[in-house]
Amino acid sequence: MAPMELILELTLMPLVAFLVGMMMVLMMRRIAAKIQRRVGPPLLQPLYDIVKLHSKRTQVSHGLIHDIGIIMAMGGYIAAETLLPVPGMNGIAEKGGIITLLYLMMIPSLGLALGVGQCANPNGSIGIARALTAMLAYDIPLVIVIFGVAYAAGTTNLVDIIAQQQAGGFAAWGAVEMPLLAIAGLIAMHASLGKQPFEIYIAPAEIATGPMVEMSGKYLGGLFVMQCFQLYTTSVLYVSLFLGGGSTWFDFLLKSFLVLAIPVSIAYLFPRYRTEDLLRLMWKWPVMLGLIGVAFVL
Amino acid sequence: MSSINQIPVINTKRGNPLSKVFDELVRFCRSRSLFILHYCTGCGAIELPPAMTSRFDMERLGIQPMVSPRQADILLITGYVSIKTLKRVILTYEQMGSPKYVIGICSCTVNGGMYWQSYATAKKLDEYMPVDLYIAGCMPRPEAVIAGLQQLMDRIHSGEANSWEDYFRNYDYYLGNQQKLFGDNWQTPTDILTEAKHYNLMGEGTFGEHTRLLEQHQKPLEALDMRLGNNLKEPTE
Repeated sequence: MAPMELILELTLMPLVAFLVGMMMVLMMRRIAAKIQRRVGPPLLQPLYDIVKLHSKRTQVSHGLIHDIGIIMAMGGYIAAETLLPVPGMNGIAEKGGIITLLYLMMIPSLGLALGVGQCANPNGSIGIARALTAMLAYDIPLVIVIFGVAYAAGTTNLVDIIAQQQAGGFAAWGAVEMPLLAIAGLIAMHASLGKQPFEIYIAPAEIATGPMVEMSGKYLGGLFVMQCFQLYTTSVLYVSLFLGGGSTWFDFLLKSFLVLAIPVSIAYLFPRYRTEDLLRLMWKWPVMLGLIGVAFVL
Repeated sequence: MSSINQIPVINTKRGNPLSKVFDELVRFCRSRSLFILHYCTGCGAIELPPAMTSRFDMERLGIQPMVSPRQADILLITGYVSIKTLKRVILTYEQMGSPKYVIGICSCTVNGGMYWQSYATAKKLDEYMPVDLYIAGCMPRPEAVIAGLQQLMDRIHSGEANSWEDYFRNYDYYLGNQQKLFGDNWQTPTDILTEAKHYNLMGEGTFGEHTRLLEQHQKPLEALDMRLGNNLKEPTE
């Protein structure tokens, strides 16, 4: 591939991810509004929020690590987008593979932990401790699921996994071939989004939005951008692993929005679990389903 | 102000031809995305849940509740402000990031309302912090609250709602009123004077006799003691 073309792709992929991610945030808030019989926010509301937060006049920084933490939280996801193939653009997905992607998806939580640590706010510290505990909870089923899919496909290359599914048609989709792994993956994905009933680290009524409690202006704006990337990354990873990726943009966007709509619709119907309940639940059901699914694959 | 030459001119000319478009975009986004922090001091708080939920739905205007002062744009004071509460309200207000707006809901924030004769209530909120908008009533209905918020949105869009600068420019006046209630050694954790210098928001009323009094006894802020086991130390005074 020509270097110019590669640079263009590496620039375009995070941009596309950001735009699609903003639409996903809008969809999430509209679904919440519909469930609660409200009208919901206008079309460009996520953009207004991000522009407004970045245009605050006074900024409260708690030090260098606070600044770097937010950059890490966004940068981890921006790097992850270049490893996620979209229709027509592969970026560096063939060289990276899923294992690198998994590592990159952990960086935002660690960056947030660094940044929040310097705020010295007790709510923030509790929040980030819970966020890392939640990561421990959902990463185990996620790794089992990804191992199963990679073993069945015989490769950790995401481009190959998508190509195999698209070559075999609907019957070769991961969700049809490995339904148990797909269900376990859906639960793990829901937990990784941090939505109710797995919303242990935001918990506005209890610990005042946890990691976000001391964030103002640009810092909160950075986290809003991070949320766009987070929704995009999780749903596109699921689509690539189980729903055959996307052959066209229409196909791709339809699948990713539909996949995201499942956890989001469930989320606004439930309160939330306690931390230990989340751990128990995540290490019991998705892990059990995932292990049975892996046994079928082996 | 006897002569026109004494009026300070602030140089706001910017070189970029697109800066006007950019400012317009920023003002529009500011007016369409308002995070409110409701400091529920009195009975007016009961009118906010219907304004937020399915009946009146503030979110369609881009207004949503936030839980910490750092994240919020609007401070809603919903009722009478006792002197003890006022301290917390001021601390909360100073922690918010500018531009920030204050809305006083109910008659009690306007003139003390039915607590006019109380010795323990701050009567007029705008003596202690700049208030952008009052929504009078006892209590105002959700329609009135939303109408008031829409009026604030219009003022933000047209660039009139900049009373937050007034807090920096006339800090001496507000601090004087605060010192009258809380005593001469009143100090908040947020250093408004340094912020005013840093963001170039100083006016003629920033410094005065009250800020001199503050600077005399001001203790520098210290980082929290992060050691374990020693957190229950008695205050030294």
